[in-house]
Amino acid sequence: MPKLIRRSIDEWFARHNPPAQGSILLHNRRLYILPTRFGYLFAFLLLVLFLAAINYENSMAFVLTFMLTALGIVSLWQTHKNLLGLEVTLLAPKPVFNGELCEFEFTLQHHNNCIRYAVGLQYANQTPVYLSIEPGGNAKAILKIQTVKRGQFKPKGLFVFTRYPTGLFHAWGWLRFDCPILVYPKPLDNAVLRETLVEQYQGKTATSTIEGDDFAGLREHRTGESLRHISWKAYAQGKGLLTKTFQGHARPSLWIDWNQISEGSIEDRLSYMTSLVIFAENENQKYGVKLPGITIEQQTGTAHKQACMSAIATFQQIDFDEDFEPAYE
Amino acid sequence: MNNARKQDLPIRSIPFEIADRQSIFAVCFCFLFAIASHFVNLPVWVSLLVIFALAWRSLENLGYLKSVSKWLLIPMVLFGGIGVFAEYWTIVGRDAGLALLTVMTSFKILESRNHRDLLILIFLCYFLIATHFLFSQSILTAVLMVATLVVITTTLVTLNQRDSRVSIKTRLIDSSRLIAMSVPIMLVLFVLVPRIPGPLWGISNEQRGGITGLSDSMSPGKISNLIRSNEVAFRVDFLSDVPAQHQLYWRGPVMATFTGQRWYKLRRNRIDRLNIKSVEPPTKYTVTLEPNGEHWLLALDIPTQLVKDSLINADYQLISLKPINDLKRYTLESRLNSSIGLEEDLEYLNLTSQYPPDSNPQTIKLGRQLALRYKNKSEIIEHVLRMFNEEEYTYTLKPPFLRNNVVDRFLFETKRGFCEHFAGSFALLMRTAGIPARIVTGYQGGEYNQVGNYLIVRQSDAHAWTEVWLQNKGWVRVDPTAAVSPSRIEQGIDNALADERSSFRIKNKNPLFGNLLYSWDSLQHSWNDWVINYDQSKQRSFLKDLDIGIENAGDMIIAMVFLLSSVTGSYWLFSWYRERPCRPERHEILFRRFLRKMSSIGFDKKMAEDNRHFLLRIAESDIEQYERIALVINLYNRIKYGRITDSEKRTTQLAGLIARI
Repeated sequence: MPKLIRRSIDEWFARHNPPAQGSILLHNRRLYILPTRFGYLFAFLLLVLFLAAINYENSMAFVLTFMLTALGIVSLWQTHKNLLGLEVTLLAPKPVFNGELCEFEFTLQHHNNCIRYAVGLQYANQTPVYLSIEPGGNAKAILKIQTVKRGQFKPKGLFVFTRYPTGLFHAWGWLRFDCPILVYPKPLDNAVLRETLVEQYQGKTATSTIEGDDFAGLREHRTGESLRHISWKAYAQGKGLLTKTFQGHARPSLWIDWNQISEGSIEDRLSYMTSLVIFAENENQKYGVKLPGITIEQQTGTAHKQACMSAIATFQQIDFDEDFEPAYE
Repeated sequence: MNNARKQDLPIRSIPFEIADRQSIFAVCFCFLFAIASHFVNLPVWVSLLVIFALAWRSLENLGYLKSVSKWLLIPMVLFGGIGVFAEYWTIVGRDAGLALLTVMTSFKILESRNHRDLLILIFLCYFLIATHFLFSQSILTAVLMVATLVVITTTLVTLNQRDSRVSIKTRLIDSSRLIAMSVPIMLVLFVLVPRIPGPLWGISNEQRGGITGLSDSMSPGKISNLIRSNEVAFRVDFLSDVPAQHQLYWRGPVMATFTGQRWYKLRRNRIDRLNIKSVEPPTKYTVTLEPNGEHWLLALDIPTQLVKDSLINADYQLISLKPINDLKRYTLESRLNSSIGLEEDLEYLNLTSQYPPDSNPQTIKLGRQLALRYKNKSEIIEHVLRMFNEEEYTYTLKPPFLRNNVVDRFLFETKRGFCEHFAGSFALLMRTAGIPARIVTGYQGGEYNQVGNYLIVRQSDAHAWTEVWLQNKGWVRVDPTAAVSPSRIEQGIDNALADERSSFRIKNKNPLFGNLLYSWDSLQHSWNDWVINYDQSKQRSFLKDLDIGIENAGDMIIAMVFLLSSVTGSYWLFSWYRERPCRPERHEILFRRFLRKMSSIGFDKKMAEDNRHFLLRIAESDIEQYERIALVINLYNRIKYGRITDSEKRTTQLAGLIARI
């Protein structure tokens, strides 16, 4: 097919199937239907039968020709109906490390009182998965895709298609989901913490209402502080509202600094940084990340970990809209 | 970017898939079902090949045999083709085409591996259905083919269903529904698609095997063989009054040449102008003639009107231009008791007076005596008829076998014969007495079907009579059989031969199921009329009789589009109603109300978020009713996904909780 036509068709499809969040309903404007190769073969068969019927002036051959034509017409409608009104939901894939399988969990559901057979799902060029959906029910499909590259990606269009009941027609919807996929660099197996990265604090850390192991004393309650930390015992003794404070031992804190790690390729350095983030989080140490142009202050916690990991994952990634491609073997 | 797009084509074909065991068995069964009733039409070796291929593929499928290698298959396909060619000396046409299709399908069965091959086989099976109709278009064939269509369609649906849990019964119901929905559309197309008269290209005249019927020569024993056949020769709908039984002489080939043993048909020219004298009003009728493989159109004695693609020859026989290999329907007029051949040419009269002088000497002697004895020719005729009637001549289906001087031995020794004996010896006697005479073969009588109001003429009604030429009268019909056995002509063959043979008449045969059998024959007649004979002229006349303004092909197409859209529209409405969304369950409605409440206080559940994550997000924000919200979500999850028995009670509880938020 000439490139120009191909491109204009692709653009037309892209314009009419904008990416959507969460779930997409397959309505008339999102559904397409064309004869399959067998549909064309069948049409040719019908033509031959029709000519033979005329030639032999055979009425029953006419009956058969028209019967099969009718079967084609009915199956055109049935194939289209088999997808119409189906709602496809993509559960945002969890971030994975490069080299692991990324799981796309699709839920197909409908409210109609009919069984939908052989609803196929195909992501990129992977082998399609077929599902049957009970009346008013739903079905789940998990597509597992091998990751080959760290970074943030957008999922490619998913094909939801069917050829039920006769295989003469191929009805499909092209669903694009607007949810980013994060692939972290693969952590190193034998990461060793280097001294240069560690910042030692002497003595005790500042008192805090939340952190720390040792009780440090009571102080005046300030509005806005959580009620959980009020010493109800002191309140009961009539001392007014007092807040409990704690103090912990000083812990070493880290700066995971791009500039301090000099050996290896960019990917190796990022992998090392990733392992350090995981290590630090497991050790409950405070850590921050320094990348050229990006600095994430020292902190701990799941949200902090995710922020650091995604900063490392997308480091120097030029095209954020890159399609998420499965690995081909 | 561009490169990435390229693989993202919005139209895509599904990759090649290996077929599973169940599908292969289904397709093998399908093929067997479609081909089994063809075994009689195929050479034995082709039938054996089909069985071999199916057996091998089934055993291979079970793991007992290895697949046939490609290098073995290619020569096998070649030899198959050569075999068909050797059998028929052609590879096109009905019989050779069927054999070739069958051979190739068998090889395709052997090499089928994937889903795609099986679909091609299904299409070949659909094609096989069509080939059946080239051999027979009867109601029974149609019923068998509907069954075959259901089997093939079920297999096709199974292949596309991709769900092995579905039972065969469900599949049969689903595909039958598909076919049932196709029927109204088929009917609209059948009635309204403008028909083009065929053929488009030359077709070889392949006959249906073993047609019984009249032939172009007559010798003793030929017609009596026909009498044993129960087959219907033709059916007649009378558009005017039905003539009496003894007037129903259906004119067929006329025999004018006698060799001493056999009577032969003489080729005669067509006539352009009918020279008929008659006082009777015309009898109008429609004949539905079963295929006879010949050019003869049977007509009531004497036809006075031509039908399409036919001519009348000087014998007043209606001749079709094409051989009758399919059911033929024609309407024409005849006049009973009319005179023909008043101005017959002398050469022909001379020919019809000749006889071999060296055989049947006794007959020749009797003829000459009669010629001397009577002046008037009609007296000679009367004398012979009286002789047949008064002497001990017997009308029987089992006459003794005669060899030399057949007429002599019949007339003077055995005196037992069938209509051909009487007609043959009568004609010879006339010739020897100097009267031009010839034999007319055809059918006499018929059985009236009271249920359908038409006449059934069977092969068993076959008959032979004579015509003699008299001055000023032309060719006059004389039926010597009537002199011997008047009941043959008055009441029909079955009464005349009641002692010798069981009757084919429904009336005589089955007093109990008589009406049922008449109805069945009537159904066949309507089938012939409405289905098999539905051609361009029938289509035009039918649509004209409907009187709704459909006159030409354009009107037909408009009507067709209108009807097709109403049929599919009503299907759409019906399925829309039947498959309308189920009413959501109560806990779903309640949960939606809960979500609305949550969004009003600033917590929107994201589409891609599950309930657990939603709850975690709420927990982090530290709102007051956290515990109640957690309860609601947990309860909802338990009702929806968990196995609980008291869901009614739980749902009420859920309603209470949500109301208090």
